[in-house]
This record gives sequence, C-alpha cells and structure tokens, in this order.
Amino acid sequence: MNKDRLTALSFFLSPMIVMVLLFYLVPLVMTIYISLTQMRNWNVSKYLTEFVGFYNYHRLFYMFQHDPTFKAVLLTTVVFVGITLIVNVLGGLALALATFFIEDKPASAFRLLWLLPRMSPIAVYSLVWYYFFHGSDIGTLNSILMKLGIISHPIAWGQIVPWGAWSIIIFVNGLVGVSFGMIVFTSALNQIPKELVIAARVDGASSWQISRKILIPMIRWHLLYVLTWQFLSLLTTYPHLFLLVQWDLVNGDYGTTLALYVFNTAFGRGEQDQGLAAAAAVLLSIIGIIGGFVTLKVLQFEKMMKRPRGDF
Amino acid sequence: MRMRSIWIVALMLLGVVASGCISSSGGTQTSSTTVQLTGDFTKDAVSIGKVLEQKGINEVKFSAWGSGDPNSVMRVYGIVEAARRINRIWEKNGIKVKITITDTNYVASFQDAYKEYLSKQPLGQAGDFFVNSYAFLPTLADEGYILDITDYAKAYKSVIDDFYPSLIEASKYNGKLYGLPQDTEARPLYIRKDVAAKIGFNLNSLDEKVKNGEFTWTDVYYWAKKAKENGVKWGLIHRKGSAHPDLIQFIFAFGGKLYDENTGKLILDVPAVYKWLYVEWKFARDGLLPEDIMSWDWAKQIHPTVVEGRTLFDIGGTWYWTEWQTKQYYHGRGLKPEEVKEWFYYTLFPAGEKGDKPVTLSQPFVWMINSKAGQQNPKYDELKDIYHELAFLMVIKASDPDINAIHSVISAHLPVRKAAAELIKDEKWLNDLKNLNLDLDQTVKDNIRDIVQATVNPINAQFLADVSYMLEYTHLAPAHPKYPALADIFKEAVDKVLRNEMTPKDAVNYIIQKVKADPGLAKNVEIVGEIPKNWKFPQQ
Repeated sequence: MNKDRLTALSFFLSPMIVMVLLFYLVPLVMTIYISLTQMRNWNVSKYLTEFVGFYNYHRLFYMFQHDPTFKAVLLTTVVFVGITLIVNVLGGLALALATFFIEDKPASAFRLLWLLPRMSPIAVYSLVWYYFFHGSDIGTLNSILMKLGIISHPIAWGQIVPWGAWSIIIFVNGLVGVSFGMIVFTSALNQIPKELVIAARVDGASSWQISRKILIPMIRWHLLYVLTWQFLSLLTTYPHLFLLVQWDLVNGDYGTTLALYVFNTAFGRGEQDQGLAAAAAVLLSIIGIIGGFVTLKVLQFEKMMKRPRGDF
Repeated sequence: MRMRSIWIVALMLLGVVASGCISSSGGTQTSSTTVQLTGDFTKDAVSIGKVLEQKGINEVKFSAWGSGDPNSVMRVYGIVEAARRINRIWEKNGIKVKITITDTNYVASFQDAYKEYLSKQPLGQAGDFFVNSYAFLPTLADEGYILDITDYAKAYKSVIDDFYPSLIEASKYNGKLYGLPQDTEARPLYIRKDVAAKIGFNLNSLDEKVKNGEFTWTDVYYWAKKAKENGVKWGLIHRKGSAHPDLIQFIFAFGGKLYDENTGKLILDVPAVYKWLYVEWKFARDGLLPEDIMSWDWAKQIHPTVVEGRTLFDIGGTWYWTEWQTKQYYHGRGLKPEEVKEWFYYTLFPAGEKGDKPVTLSQPFVWMINSKAGQQNPKYDELKDIYHELAFLMVIKASDPDINAIHSVISAHLPVRKAAAELIKDEKWLNDLKNLNLDLDQTVKDNIRDIVQATVNPINAQFLADVSYMLEYTHLAPAHPKYPALADIFKEAVDKVLRNEMTPKDAVNYIIQKVKADPGLAKNVEIVGEIPKNWKFPQQ
C-alpha cells in the first residue's frame, strides 16, 4: 500500500477510529482496570488505586462454586439467551415471510402492530405484563382462568421456578426482539427479484416451498446478522428484567441474568460493589466475544463476505 | 499548509488542557477560616454570620434530602425552619447574610434515597443535609461521605445530653459522632379489636401479658388460626421488603443476637433464625399469612387488608397510626382518629416462646451532614470549615424540641429528645399546632397544613404517649457496613419459606451457604449455634 493511499485511508477512517477508541476500547479497558480494584460505593478517589489483583475474579469463581443464586443466574442467562434468541430469529422470520405473501396495506398494519412492544416505553410495556401475569387475583391471566373455571386459586406464575419465571422473561423479551428480525428480514425479502417467486408460483410451488427453497437461502446473510446481533443484545439486556424482578413479578434468582446481576451488584444493593460488578462485566464481555466469534465461524461469515468477482 | 493546520490543532488542544489544569489547581491553596464553637447558639451563629459577611458572602445555599412516609416531611422542612431561625438571629444582629434552602428533595423509599446519595455524593451533587436510617451511617462514614461532628458536638453537650443515649449511640461509628437523631419509632403488633371480639379473644391487659412473656408467638398462632376458622381472610399480615429492619424482630424475640460488640462481627444466630423462618413457614402453610406477602403492594394490598379488617394481627410501625388517617386505604378514604382508636389494639412484639422476652425494633433516622456541605457556595475552599460549622448549627436548630415534637405528632414517630417528649403532652401547644398558631416558616406551614389537620388531635398524642414505653424493649439492627448484604439474604430466605420453595431448615442452610459463598461477607459474619433438634411450633 503506498503512502498516499495510507494517508487517505487514515484521514477517512480517523473519526471512526477515534470513536471506537473513546466509546468502546476505553470503557472496556476501564472496566478491566476497575475489576482489579476494590472499588465500591462509588468511591473513586479512595479505591481507584487500591489494587486487589484477581480477587474479584476469585470471588466470582468462588460464588460460582458455592452460591446457589449465582449458579441460578448463570443458568438463567444460558436459557434466557438461548430460547429468546430462537424466538427472536424464528419469530422475526415467520412474521416477515407471513407478511411477504399478503397484500401491502394489511402487511404494513400487521408489521406496525408487532413494532408496538419496541416502541412502547420500557416501564409502560413491563407494567402491562406485570398486571397480566400478576400472581394474585388482580392479575389478568389469573382472573381469566378463574372466570373460566380452569383454576380455583390465583397462581404466582413468575414464582414457579425455574420455568414459570423463565417463561415470563422469555415471553416479554421475545415480543420486544421479534420486531427487529421482522424489519431486517422484510427488507431483505423485498430485495429478492419478484420474478423468482412468480416463476416458482407458475411452476406450482407452494408458499412453504418458495420460502424454504428460494427466500430463506437468499437471506442467509441477514439471518446471520440478526442472529449475531440479537445474541449480543440479549446477553447484555436487562431493563425489562430489572423491572419484572424489582416488582417481584418473577423470582429474583431465576429472573436475573448475568447482565442484570452486574447492574444489581454495581448499583442496586445495600452495598454497591463496583469492583465485583466490573469483574462480572468482563466475564460477560468475554462470553459475548467468544459467542459472537463462534456464531460467525459456524455460519461461515467469511464465505458470505467474499469480494464480488469482477471488482478491482 | 498541512503543517500549519496540525500546529493550530495542537495549540488548541494544549489550550484546552492548560485551561483545565489552571481551573482545577488555581486558588485552592488558601487557608481555611474557622470559628470556635462555644455552645451558646446565638453567639456561635452571630460569629459565623460575621465571618461570612466579612468575606463578602450574602447568601448561603444549602439543600436538604429526606425520605419516608408521606407524613414525615418535617425531615426536610425541619431544615427549612432551622434556616429561617438562623436568618432571624442574623437579621436581629444586623448581619446581612441569608441562608436559602435551594432544594428539598423528599422521596418515599429511604433505600432509593440512600442509593442516590451514594452515587451523587462523590460527584458533589448530593444534598448538604441527608436524613436517613442510621443503618447506612457506617457505610457513609466509612467512605468519608458524611461529616464527623464529634468535635462540634462537644460544645453542645447540653443539647446532646437531652437526646436519648441509645439514639446518640446509634448515630456513632467507631466511637465518633456522625449525625444527630431525627426520629425513632417502635413496631407494635396491631390487633383488630372487632376481629378479636368476634372470636372471643380477650384483649384486656394483653399488653401486660405480652410484657411478662406469658403471651408468646404460640398464642399469636392459636388466635390467628381461630380467626381464619371463623372466616377472617388472614391471621397475620406483616411488612415486606428487606428483612431489615422489621422481621428481624423474630431473632431478638427468640433470644438471638445479630451483632457481637466484642468482635465487631455480625452474628448469624442459627437457632433463632431457624425459629423465625419456621414461624413464617408455619403461618404461610396454614394459610394464616399470605405466602406472597413479600411481593404485595403497599397501597393496594397490605394496608387495605389491615384497615378493612381482613386480618387479626399486623406487624407494623407506630407511624401506621397516622398514615391510616391520611392515606385512602379504607374503601377509598382515610380512617378517622376515632376509628383507628376503636379498631386497633397495640402491644409489643411478643416473646418467641416461654422464657424469652418481648421486643420491639427501632430504626432511628439521623440528620447527617454531607462532607462536602456548602460546596455550591462561593469561596468554598477558604470557608469550608465555616460552612460545615453552619451546617452543624442548622442540624442543632432543626433538632429544637418544638420541631421534633411537630414531626412526632404528625408522623407518629417517637420523639428523640426528652424536651420534645414533654412538649407533646402539653395540650395548649397541641392546640396551637392544630391551628398552626406557631412561629413557623410559611413554606413549612403550607406544606404540613393538610397533614396537621388530619393528624393533630388528642387521640394521636395519647397514642404516642402510650407507645413510648416500648422504647425500653427496643433493639437496633447492627450498625455494620456489611449488614445490608446480610439483610438482603434474610429477605430472600423469608420469601422462599413463605412460598414453600424451601423448608426452614433448607432456608437456614441456604443463608449459611450464601454467607460463606461471599468471602467479603464470610469474613464479617460469625455463624453460631445449630438448627435445634425436635423444636416444635406451635408449642403445647
């Protein structure tokens, strides 16, 4: 690469590099740094230089071995991310395909409906499900089931562990995430030449066959993108979970993922242990990096990103 | 051309960095001015006022942060009133300085208020005065977030001596004084008189039987069950949330301890904790106590259940007495004082079993002063000590007997000073308070008018007088920086036994496991005793 080209590249890339450094790398380095200190109760001046080595990581490992809550948190993270991811990706795909085969106007209205959970303020949206799943007779679900005579006493759904709590957090977050996949897939499907679909129709292919043989293979890149993006989002999301746990709708242990655990440890308890939270956050970042890398490898991202022939 | 651009950018960056350095280092090396406090309030206030005036300060801005039930707003307005009283002293002495309270931040949850203070104090954005539970004082003192007022308080020994000694002790950490008590309370066991009459439960001299340890939790269970059998929805309702400070009364009632003064460590008293969890478990299993009470809504479930008579017993607090009058918990309205008196009997928290003693629990609230108090004012570095001394005087003033007595009467908290306890017995003063015919700041009057109308009456004053004896039986939760972490675990365990996710034995082992799983906590908690074998509840 000649010097002029390098200079030009640096010039155009510098704003992005500065941004990545400032907003991505520096916070990561700071998080790692804090995880090696005894930082707590926001007392930066007192603890920032008090190094404790890997003590916080040792605590996490020790808690992993001995603390039932921490074990539940890790298990919940795996189940929550795994199932919600499937719901988000497959649900988004199903919605996109379903709206692909119907008229434009009803399709848009239908899509808009599914965007509501994403558009609603988190507190309002969570509150709706709080009252829906509430464990007493003020809960909508309990009230309906009792009126229908299916149950005689209200059931505290979110306190049935682990699957009651897991089902609620997966359901609530699944509905929020599904719209993202739907938008990306709809956009991708609209890029596919209509001729291919028309030709298949002429040949007598059903909607299912068209989807399976033509549409899905052609939006593989988008599937990979949504899968990776949603995986990382789910790993780090916590606002809805925070409210559902805070309001005691779901069990604290099986409604808390590692991301929420980090938040609670750093800011949510009587003693706010930012050093320990930073160590858990580093762990979360490592899981995210490995997970993202594995997803890209397994789905052969490089192959899809091959340069188109004929250029350069 | 390119080089010139680079130089310009570099110079600009240097300029920015240099200006930052100049503003952060310049003018910080001036020596701090101070005034020797004498204990004569007027004299001290005048001395401080004169120094401020000489230094060109004509306005001192402070902010007050408080939290609690809706009737406890004097926790912030006490500071507003103190400012007015000092302003008046200055005015009388021709000092042209004025204290302005720029912000009175009052929120419902004292835990949330604490978290907000914790996060904002290091940034210099927290209130100058912070009134909150003494339970947080050790952590705040340990982190250097609140002012050590030990030396200032020496000059005001006569005022300090008027506070109840146990409350002054609760305001100390490592032997140093970090605040002044603002209020305290007892946590009575309320009993619905109408429900008791319906099931033949004779309440005559019950408080004496509780005091003597004759009436224990086995009796509570017996009558709760009888109420349930007679169609009352619940036998017992208790408070929810963190097991601190309410439910730990069980530990003391079963003769247990939470803190070892000799080692300075917290204690996990296994037998007492087991008995506590067993009682909770038994009540929930027999349908006498809602198994999901820890997630009940205060305004929609807990209070209405009690005031509408759907339970026999309720473990509450003295402040309930007026809260029930001012909040619309009873079919959309508040109770009348006569109704509260007619419907509720109150007594100490009974002994766990024969041979134990009855208890109550207090969680004193304490006026604390931000270690950065006054920093929003001019010449802070030079006048830091003056601002701190002034803040201390304001807390002393906010503890005036009448301010403390007003708070006690309208919020049904117990007075922290003997002089205030005397004042609430004074009928003339009560009448003046009822008519707001007192020398108070207009803002304060405006903000407490409705509460005063609803709460100031002889019935409430009598209630305060009647429950004062409970302080002789009171316990305090340990003032230990690690206590909040242990309390969080207690709460989880209580919730698990109530919901039958764990047996009491499993729950105790769960607590032990959780304590041991955190090396930081394990170092600070001593686990004593074992789960008692063949222990039964209810006892025969």
